[in-house]
Amino acid sequence: MSGRVIVITSGKGGVGKTTTNANIGTALARMGKKVVMIDTDLGLRNLDLLLGLENRIVYTIVDVVEERCKLKQALVKDKKNPNLCLLAAAQTRDKSAVTQEQLKEICEKLQKDFDFILVDCPAGIEQGFQNAVAGASEAIVVTTPEMSAVRDADRIIGLLEAKEEIKSYKLLLNRVRPNLIKSNDMMSVDDVVEILSAELIGIIPEDTGIITSTNKGEPIVNDEKSLAGQAYNNVARRIIGEDVPFLNLDEPKGVVAKVKKFFSGLMGKEK
Amino acid sequence: MILQNFYNKIIGFFRQAETEQQESSKDTARNRLKVVLMQDRTNLTPELMERMRKEMVELLSKYVEMDKEALELDLEQDGEQVALMLSIPVIRAKDEEEIKAALEEEDKKKAALEKASEEADEESEEESDDEVDDDIDEDESEEEIEEPEDETLKEDDETSEDETK
Repeated sequence: MSGRVIVITSGKGGVGKTTTNANIGTALARMGKKVVMIDTDLGLRNLDLLLGLENRIVYTIVDVVEERCKLKQALVKDKKNPNLCLLAAAQTRDKSAVTQEQLKEICEKLQKDFDFILVDCPAGIEQGFQNAVAGASEAIVVTTPEMSAVRDADRIIGLLEAKEEIKSYKLLLNRVRPNLIKSNDMMSVDDVVEILSAELIGIIPEDTGIITSTNKGEPIVNDEKSLAGQAYNNVARRIIGEDVPFLNLDEPKGVVAKVKKFFSGLMGKEK
Repeated sequence: MILQNFYNKIIGFFRQAETEQQESSKDTARNRLKVVLMQDRTNLTPELMERMRKEMVELLSKYVEMDKEALELDLEQDGEQVALMLSIPVIRAKDEEEIKAALEEEDKKKAALEKASEEADEESEEESDDEVDDDIDEDESEEEIEEPEDETLKEDDETSEDETK
């Protein structure tokens, strides 16, 4: 078995890299794939929180690199899904504790036992980014329809294109707000895709459910009713090669919206 | 409720008319982003653009008399590619004598520069043998850039001489 190593990156912080990582990883594992996630954000680890695994971490990636434990010992199994593992970042060290070579070696070892290795990249374009990208051959660039996020994504794409190891990269547009796009107050999906001229792998709507799911430490893909959860599930299906159409975000969701639509339809007829 | 709906539609109509007149904030964002990304992608800072503009003025002034302040140099999106657009308001074409004089002056300056750089090379060779390789590389790259200019200058010289004969 030779697993695919995918780095999830963005340039700008706070656009949803870690959320994306947790959800795509969980979705792939739910489909029966063996998945390991590597948190490379040394000193600012968060992937453990999103997965609800913060109390189970004994060893981190730095312990592996400094040979205080074996690689397998440091892999934390998910509560629900035995197909899913996490290799946590150290919280007390900085980005220099692990080198590009070491990360590459870890990825190569994990490729033998897993279908997917998802590397959670820190924000920025400095050493943390260079390390995270080192072992990967594919990339998902997360951005939102905001100027600063798109600009940073463009920078990241430029850097990824310069890397020989990265064979392909795809764009994931996060926190999309259909209402704002409709009122011309937010760049549309097409705008962003045109500006970055990159292939799209997912459109994730803004969803308050993300906040509650983070609070609980349970990725939103486990909630089948959630629109964002469905969107992340679709991304995972596209990753394994399925042809899945993008969600139509314009349809009103929720009971209130449906009732409103029903009544506005009636009113229209009366006239 | 019907009245309220009607009221909303009227208000909505006027709001729409308002937004049609102004550029939406989305379009503003898109256009600002496009410009800023063009600059990001070319690695040309505003200072470098200004320097390039000045050098263009200097170069072109040898051949035409132009409004130096009005020369515009901008990066623009041309389909998929980024294009460097140069707009030059020409006041009048210079006559042959003027062009010839300007070119001769240029050649003199260049000869003086070459002499100076040769002397500098000799000095550095004396200083250290290790750096010789680097110096040679640099010289080559400089020559590569200068060559096309020299050729065009020579051609221009020949044509102008021919015409005067």
